[in-house]
Amino acid sequence: MKISQKIITNLKEGGADFFLSVPCKLLANMITILENDKDIYYSAIPREEEGMGICAGAYLGNKLPCIMMQNTGIGNSVNSIVSLLQLYQMPVVFLISYRGTPGEPVGAQGGMASVTEDILNTLRIPMLHCNTEDDLDKITTFTNHAKVIESPVAILCNFNLMKDD
Amino acid sequence: MNRFELLNLLKETIQDELVICNIGLPSQELYKINDRPNYFYMLGSMGLASSIGLGLSLTVDKNVISIDGDGSVLMNMNTLATIGNRAPSNYTLLIVDNGSYGSTGDQKTFTNERTSLKEVAIGAGCKNVIECSGEETDGNLKKALADKDNSYVIISKIQSGNVPIKPIPLNAVTIRDRFRKSIGLVSYL
Repeated sequence: MKISQKIITNLKEGGADFFLSVPCKLLANMITILENDKDIYYSAIPREEEGMGICAGAYLGNKLPCIMMQNTGIGNSVNSIVSLLQLYQMPVVFLISYRGTPGEPVGAQGGMASVTEDILNTLRIPMLHCNTEDDLDKITTFTNHAKVIESPVAILCNFNLMKDD
Repeated sequence: MNRFELLNLLKETIQDELVICNIGLPSQELYKINDRPNYFYMLGSMGLASSIGLGLSLTVDKNVISIDGDGSVLMNMNTLATIGNRAPSNYTLLIVDNGSYGSTGDQKTFTNERTSLKEVAIGAGCKNVIECSGEETDGNLKKALADKDNSYVIISKIQSGNVPIKPIPLNAVTIRDRFRKSIGLVSYL
């Protein structure tokens, strides 16, 4: 719970005030925290691509949105990232549970894990890797950076960082 | 009645509302009929007009109308469940259901066969789902906009067919900024 609380606190500190998630076991504690947070909007949604649309609308209404999802969700969302968020220059924070990284027990997660960073690089989306608790201190500045550069940014939380939280 | 005629009929009713308009011909026709800064024209991301409008309606007090199409809703049907469970009372989804993919050459969609978007929307949990003719649409939309306690999904059953039209000459960031200015969020224009 300590790691999850720190992530949410730092996202909010960086300006994020509108949260969506497509659930993941590694995001479960963060979702519980958000469900009980009256200062921000939070909802679960069925699919990441529609989440990019909802985030775009929330940005138009002056929010800094954050969508929480597994890295598989990037695969579901490529067109909406390029032809909506990037085309209109809309800041959105992707908080990604990076399944398939070392420690992951499900072998099948390795496939998307092996292409996730290549996809984000191809899309020119800045990445912040969180492997240790100290890395979490960079989340506040990185979240605000999305607003400054008017672009999506991706925060990747490795399996081992989250698994015992 | 085709889409152009329907949008022309709705011209007065929607002119001061926040409108998120579907990609392709719907946006191009709306632009030609009555361009307004409070209209957000989609230039990409087919399927997401409903979702963008939902996100906006959750963050502003003004009425928000997503003008979507049957082909686009079929592409993003999961968002009807989000709308059914989360749409605030200032949200209206207007589905222009002409049974065809108008922007790509009028190929038929499944609403031309066995699929009913009305039944899908009801099953997804949407409240106040109204299916009506093109002629009845303006009255139903006025009712939805006047109702401050409920969201609506209006499915307007019309004919397929398009009018000759050019792409919108505005770039994306211009559309974004003048839209945000219309709700008081941009001071530099």
